[in-house]
Amino acid sequence: MFKFACVIPFLPFCAFAITGLFTGKHRRVSQNISIFAIFFSLCLSVLILMEMLVVPGNYEFQLPWLKILPSLPIEIGMLINPLSSVMLVVVCTVSFFVQVYSAGYMHGDSGYCRYYTFLSLFSFSMLGLVVSNNLLQMYIFWELVGICSYLLIGHWYFKPEAANASKKAFIVTRFGDFGFLIAILIISYKVQTFNFLELQHILETGAIPHSMITVIAILLFCGAMGKSAQFPLHIWLPDAMEGPTPVSALIHAATMVAAGVYLVARTYFIFSISGTALTLVAIIGCFTAFFAGSIALVQDDIKRVLAYSTVSQLGYMMLGLGVGAYTAGFFHLTTHASFKALLFLCAGSIIHSVKTNNIWEMGGLYKNMKITAITFLIGGLALAGIFPFSGFWSKDEIILGAYNSGHYILFGIALLTAAFTAFYMARVFFVVFFGKKKSVHTQRGIKAPSTYHESPSVMTIPLIILAFLAAILGIFTHKFGQFIHYGPHLIEGEHNEFIPVISNIVAIVSIFFAWVIYQKEAISSAGMARQFSIPYKILKNKYYVDEFYSFCVRNILFVISGAAGWFDRNVVDGAVNVVGSGIKAFGSLLRKTQTGLVQNYAIGLFGGIVLIWFIVKIIVK
Amino acid sequence: MISIKEVLILVALFFSIGVYGVLTRRNTIGILMSIELLFNSACLSFVTFSKYYYPAFLKGQIFVLFIISVAAADTVVGLALLLCIYRKLKDVYVDRINIMKG
Amino acid sequence: MSERILFYCIAVITILSAVGVVSARNIFHAGLLLGSTLFSIAGLYLILGTEFLAAVQVLLYVGGILTLILFAIMLTVKLSDKSIKQTSEQKGISICISIVIFGILCGCILKTEMANISKSGIMTTPSDIGKHLFVYEVLPFELLSILLLVALIGAIILARKEEGEK
Repeated sequence: MFKFACVIPFLPFCAFAITGLFTGKHRRVSQNISIFAIFFSLCLSVLILMEMLVVPGNYEFQLPWLKILPSLPIEIGMLINPLSSVMLVVVCTVSFFVQVYSAGYMHGDSGYCRYYTFLSLFSFSMLGLVVSNNLLQMYIFWELVGICSYLLIGHWYFKPEAANASKKAFIVTRFGDFGFLIAILIISYKVQTFNFLELQHILETGAIPHSMITVIAILLFCGAMGKSAQFPLHIWLPDAMEGPTPVSALIHAATMVAAGVYLVARTYFIFSISGTALTLVAIIGCFTAFFAGSIALVQDDIKRVLAYSTVSQLGYMMLGLGVGAYTAGFFHLTTHASFKALLFLCAGSIIHSVKTNNIWEMGGLYKNMKITAITFLIGGLALAGIFPFSGFWSKDEIILGAYNSGHYILFGIALLTAAFTAFYMARVFFVVFFGKKKSVHTQRGIKAPSTYHESPSVMTIPLIILAFLAAILGIFTHKFGQFIHYGPHLIEGEHNEFIPVISNIVAIVSIFFAWVIYQKEAISSAGMARQFSIPYKILKNKYYVDEFYSFCVRNILFVISGAAGWFDRNVVDGAVNVVGSGIKAFGSLLRKTQTGLVQNYAIGLFGGIVLIWFIVKIIVK
Repeated sequence: MISIKEVLILVALFFSIGVYGVLTRRNTIGILMSIELLFNSACLSFVTFSKYYYPAFLKGQIFVLFIISVAAADTVVGLALLLCIYRKLKDVYVDRINIMKG
Repeated sequence: MSERILFYCIAVITILSAVGVVSARNIFHAGLLLGSTLFSIAGLYLILGTEFLAAVQVLLYVGGILTLILFAIMLTVKLSDKSIKQTSEQKGISICISIVIFGILCGCILKTEMANISKSGIMTTPSDIGKHLFVYEVLPFELLSILLLVALIGAIILARKEEGEK
């Protein structure tokens, strides 16, 4: 079965090639080709996962690719193990549902075929990234998913915000990718192999100095920070919400942003050697979780709330990996993929109907959109970590892992963030579905709430299935722990019953507060904003990180580049111009010798003879 | 008895005068005449070496015959060109003909 | 001894008329002096014992080339403007170069160790030359004839009045 694994990324690639080259004018054909390709990939990856459950292990296939250096063969291949087989299923599932959902959401869009082409390309790249058996190949697909993200954020490229957001996403992630690239270069120089298994083997023998491994791990984590939008490179993800909502669900919630977490999980053998790197991962992850969660408390745009929530949850995953809760971190990735994709698709369904992103312009949608409301509720509860939904199992294991590892500060912050999570999800839910009905000013005039309607079934069925997954994934917790683990599997005997209870209480209390503020309006939210005006303003402006960056760019980068530009214009160009005009002057000097008078030339002839005579004379002497 | 060096010094003097003529004559025909002087000096040196060193060997004299013939062809073409230039520019003074000035 | 005196006399005539050729103000006089130079060169050939070359010199140079040059002078130059300056501004440097070349040549001649042999008294008759020419040098001879033919045709085409020209 495993030898069919290479078909999984290949099918979306075929779909990409066919839709990109041939069926650009036939919407239905393009859509069906893409959906069927990803459907078959999904079936195959489920089969592979089944088989992997029976016979777990590392299955590797590789072909030699480039032989630039004899000591450093570069190969192309696949590594199927429990980690990648689970990730394959996650990616295929979300891709499949998002593609089905897009048929409804993007209906009538002018770039429909282009959209499906890029979605297929994205699926190919992401699946290729997941199955890569070496770092270099992973880097290639890593960049490919980056370019797909760029293309899909900029799907509505005629909108300046979308064009800018796509550029921002691409450029900011480049900073991280730079670290990743340097890590690859160091590895190629020091270890002389890119293959994960060989790399693991060599590192475990201790041939590479400890400090070098720390450096490599931190650089790899830089790449992961860029892709997974960890602080301080998180700024691109909220802006990426300018893309179509299914794209946000697929790329910017479930799969691509999880690639950073996946990278850390895949190269965990590097991180686990270096305690410093692991601590750094934990601290960055925890800080990002808190930081983004607090911003999400006050955002008005439903997609931005979800985007900051995504950043926050990615921080949780990093925290999990950092504190050694490898299984929990990766399990959270899996469950998060299901419920965050669900939440985004619900948001898309709402936006599709209401044509606005602002939660205060929605309200009272429960009456008109029951399916969306209930699925959103399930997704929200899963995200908030309420028993027995899937988020509870994964998130609490991370918090437990932080507690067990002895990082009590991180544990505290994680718990606080869990409260934030519950609060902002409840806020959005109450405002959107039970808030006061409002008439909305849209581009096409005022739209009365009564005209809102449920989305077509092509959109609601994926919602229902994802909601089902988000609800029940928790029952696999134990199985997952046996299946995916780093090092020998530890039966976590010291299961602390206390902490899940605490975190659930915290979450329920947060939800209650949200209910009081936004549903009962017993406490005026505007009044609170006035009372805590300074923190409110800071949160509203996302801690001024963007402003800080643009300040840095304006005042430092522009000054440096201005100086460099001046240097280039005046010194470099000046040198070139001097050379050029010098030659020109010399040429016009030489031009004078071309008098056109025959006898001047004759003088040259005979004078030249004399000159040659003397030169020869001198040389001979 | 005339020594070979006397003859050769005469040739050298003769050649130098021809060079001077080529370099200074303004009239194109004057330049052509100076070139004839150069040719003649070369011929004379050929004959001299031939007579002094290889008296039974006729190559030197044959060479002079060839030089004279080539000089004739040279002069003919030169004068034809001169006539062309004269008809176009109405001038035979080379220091006034500089249409090829760079 | 008498031969030597004769040689010096002819040499002086040659040099003087050559100087005249390059410096005469009147181009026509220069032409005539060129004739005198060529004649004295023929005399030198006689002294060196090459009668055939002397004859060819007189026939070809004096009879052919010199006549041609004099014709060209008459075609192009108005004889009335004989007072026009005939030497250009680069006279000084030209004199220098000529003297240096002369010096170099003399230096070479005087420095070279030459066997102090006298010229041989063997006479070469025109029939010897003819035989040699047609036995050993046929190919260059024929090539030369083609060259002369080409020069002839070229000169005609160059000097011919172009169509439409008055």
